Amino acid sequence: MSIERLPSPVTGLVWKCLATVGAHLNEGDTILLIESMKMEIPVEMPRAGVLKAILVQEEDAVAEGQPVAEIE
Amino acid sequence: MSDNPALAELEQRRAAALQMGGAEAVAKWHEKGRMTARERITAFVDAGSFHELGMLTGKGRYTADGHLVDFTPSSSIMGNGDVEGRTLMVVADDFTLRGGSSEGAVAEKWIYAERMALEFRMPLVRFVDSVGGSVKILEQAGRTKIPGYALWPSTALMGAVPVASVAFGACVGLGAVRAIGAHFSVMVKGQAQVFAAGPPVVKQGLGHDVDKEALGGHELCTRISGAILNAADTEQDALVQVRRFLSYLPTNAWQAPARVVSGDDPTRRTPALNTLVPDNPRRIYTARKIVEAVCDQDSLFELAPGFGTSLRTYLARLDGYAVGVMLGDPAVMGGALTRAAAQKMERFVDLCDSFHLPIVNLVDQPGAMIGLDAERAGTLLAAAKAGAAIEQASVPWVSIVIRRAFGLAGSMLGPWNGPNGTSLNHRFAWPSARWGSIPIEGGVAAAYKREIEAAPDPLARRAELEAYYHRLSSPFRTAEAFGVVDIIEPADTRALLCRWARDASRLTQTQLGPKRRTLR
Repeated sequence: MSIERLPSPVTGLVWKCLATVGAHLNEGDTILLIESMKMEIPVEMPRAGVLKAILVQEEDAVAEGQPVAEIE
Repeated sequence: MSDNPALAELEQRRAAALQMGGAEAVAKWHEKGRMTARERITAFVDAGSFHELGMLTGKGRYTADGHLVDFTPSSSIMGNGDVEGRTLMVVADDFTLRGGSSEGAVAEKWIYAERMALEFRMPLVRFVDSVGGSVKILEQAGRTKIPGYALWPSTALMGAVPVASVAFGACVGLGAVRAIGAHFSVMVKGQAQVFAAGPPVVKQGLGHDVDKEALGGHELCTRISGAILNAADTEQDALVQVRRFLSYLPTNAWQAPARVVSGDDPTRRTPALNTLVPDNPRRIYTARKIVEAVCDQDSLFELAPGFGTSLRTYLARLDGYAVGVMLGDPAVMGGALTRAAAQKMERFVDLCDSFHLPIVNLVDQPGAMIGLDAERAGTLLAAAKAGAAIEQASVPWVSIVIRRAFGLAGSMLGPWNGPNGTSLNHRFAWPSARWGSIPIEGGVAAAYKREIEAAPDPLARRAELEAYYHRLSSPFRTAEAFGVVDIIEPADTRALLCRWARDASRLTQTQLGPKRRTLR
């Protein structure tokens, strides 16, 4: 199984981390929420897997495309 | 073989033309999983409807005393054919001959196809698969020529008839221009690339090594540059997409689009939409559900699904009437109008205006994208150009504010005056709609900064002020002043739009003729 890095879909601020590292998550589960343009934009699991790492902290500024999580 | 020598020669030359690059070249081509130019044309047009023109164009080889030895056809095949009974011009590059080099094509021939499309006012479809110029041709000609083609009506064509292109393989230089200069363009994933020059020329000119897929494959062209609108998984899929695109458009700008009634009840209510937009204004929703619910079943065809995706653009039908639909997507960049979305909007508005497709604008717009990257990308310039395209559109237009309409981008609902000065900017809203010049939170924090800081409980005071202003921004207050025509129950959206589409179609019948919106 390979590690996949998930990018932020938007430029903004990390608002909330919702999942814990090591958790087994399903496709579509929200890992964290980015706040941008006054909206909460979710970073979701593209498929079922394990959340290996969260690469950012709450209140970090992120750019569109910046890796924010690693899954396996 | 005929007894008459002239007829025999005609048969010989025509048979050679059908061979294209020869059996070996065709076999190699098939091994790569590609269709030949002739196979693509056959697969595209209605069965048996292709009438080829210019079959005898090419190069003959002769004996010393002038007898024909053999004949190599030009690498461009063209003629007219029908798609769903409507005649159009199709021109296809034949890669089995000299890599489809544009200078082996006998330019007069493919240009004639385009001139004929313009003169007879019928759509033009280009199947592009060519590597551009070749120095070997230069040797044969014995001289260079200034690039360009005096007779090629590429710009005028786009204001007169639908132009569609398929990038089947390498589309380089002129080939890239022919792929890009279309109302609808589609490229086949993994085998098509579109660029000004390929890796060898880039290496020569810049000293950089770059892979051709990275330089001009579908990822770059349909997602980053937007130079090509759509991508197809297979060659067959690309042909299906072109046929689909053409089905919404009239044959030319002098005609209205055809109505295709599906039987989907125009008064059908869509109750699921009543609960689509979350109460929490920060939560996103799946915007596509709106267009899927309100448009005729299976009538959606998305243009540029990978580019500028905070805006979605569709060709669709409402009660059988062909329309263009724009939809704000809050799931992408918060729905903000990015540089790419603004470019996409400008191009889409021009397309719909040119071919009399009334426009539905479903608005959820927080404003132009902000921040350093957005400014460096020239977002406001792109937004201003899109706004100009809207204001220049005379095609009937209706907008429904689904949720937000803020700032410059939020003002771009529809034409405020239009080219004739009589546009209504016909606009409705869902009860979830909120609009203004600036968002309440930022506005309160700025205007009441001192009062909030001086208050015994600043957070409470700020919340109190924000709540007050939120009540002032109820859309019903705007409706009291006729700032919107109406606020509607989301479940009634289809009925409203179908009724409008009937009136809009009647209006377009009085607007027929070219608007001259070519590629800007």
